[in-house]
Amino acid sequence: MSNNGPEFIEPPSHLKDKVKITEGGVDLDALEKAEALIAGLQDSYLEWVEGDLEKLQTFYGQAMAAEGADRRARLNDVFSVAHDVKGQGGSFDYHLMTAIGNKLCRFIEKLPGEITRGHMEVVKVHIDALRLVIAQRMAGEGGRAGENLMRGLDAVITKVSGPEG
Amino acid sequence: MAGYNLERLNFLCVDDNKHMRALVKTILHALGSKNVHEAADGADAFKELRHFPADIIICDWNMSPLDGLDFVRLVRTGKDSPNPFVPIIMLTGHTEMHRVIEARDAGVHEFLAKPISAKGLFSRIRSIIERPRPFIRAGMYFGPDRRRRQIDWKGPERRKAGMAAAGASNAADGGLSQAEVEALLNG
Repeated sequence: MSNNGPEFIEPPSHLKDKVKITEGGVDLDALEKAEALIAGLQDSYLEWVEGDLEKLQTFYGQAMAAEGADRRARLNDVFSVAHDVKGQGGSFDYHLMTAIGNKLCRFIEKLPGEITRGHMEVVKVHIDALRLVIAQRMAGEGGRAGENLMRGLDAVITKVSGPEG
Repeated sequence: MAGYNLERLNFLCVDDNKHMRALVKTILHALGSKNVHEAADGADAFKELRHFPADIIICDWNMSPLDGLDFVRLVRTGKDSPNPFVPIIMLTGHTEMHRVIEARDAGVHEFLAKPISAKGLFSRIRSIIERPRPFIRAGMYFGPDRRRRQIDWKGPERRKAGMAAAGASNAADGGLSQAEVEALLNG
């Protein structure tokens, strides 16, 4: 064995030794049932996402009241919550929450050194959009209203940041 | 119909968000798993591993004080690691190319983009079962073989080139799709 070359090591055990193919194992039916079980958690999601929406509102208010580095720090808090919202909505058929959460995260990531009132307005519009999706129970892609909402958010971002977003 | 029976597998689910932990646990139970332990961050998870012989770890990225990536490195290369070989699925909303490469280079087996589904999670578990990989110690790296396809590559080291390219591309939309992540990891 050369000191410079990679050393290959066989792991002590493989999962195949522990996992057998049996009747009642995971088949398409089991996967469909699991998906249905997640769909059944939608009401719980709608309850806990309210907590995230409240946090977004609180951190946004704190960001508005702050300046400079403090404002950026509070917007980083907004980013964290929006990132959670992005990561969860789609699991419960709220794909618009994922899409809007993603837009908000990308917008905050690209904010320039000086954060203007216009930038803050864009953040607020995104938070309002998230609240609207939940208040109106806009599940799935949200239909025509969802399309309009997404187009509106794009237009607001373009107005403040230019076509490159 | 028959399928993989996950009853005997021990899962450790690590996420600072209790709702995400509940979601992962619900899926695993629905797929027949009986033993699912939870931890709220990397440090808790490392402690849990000392007395719980996890067969697969499902781990979030953003956690404090010890985040997912540091946890993976600790499991792989920590002197007191209870199981450096345990398969790890990194589950995260961060799907930018440089993040995927970073996770792979820390030693994760699989990468699953949030929002998750039962089918998505099972496909990663199945991949771990069906494609056991040798481990490699090379330079600073210790973890599963990052080249899943056995190819006789004579060109430049793509992993090094990939890291440099990752920052330049894929910055616009904020992430790769799960299919793109798979293509990258299989490359």
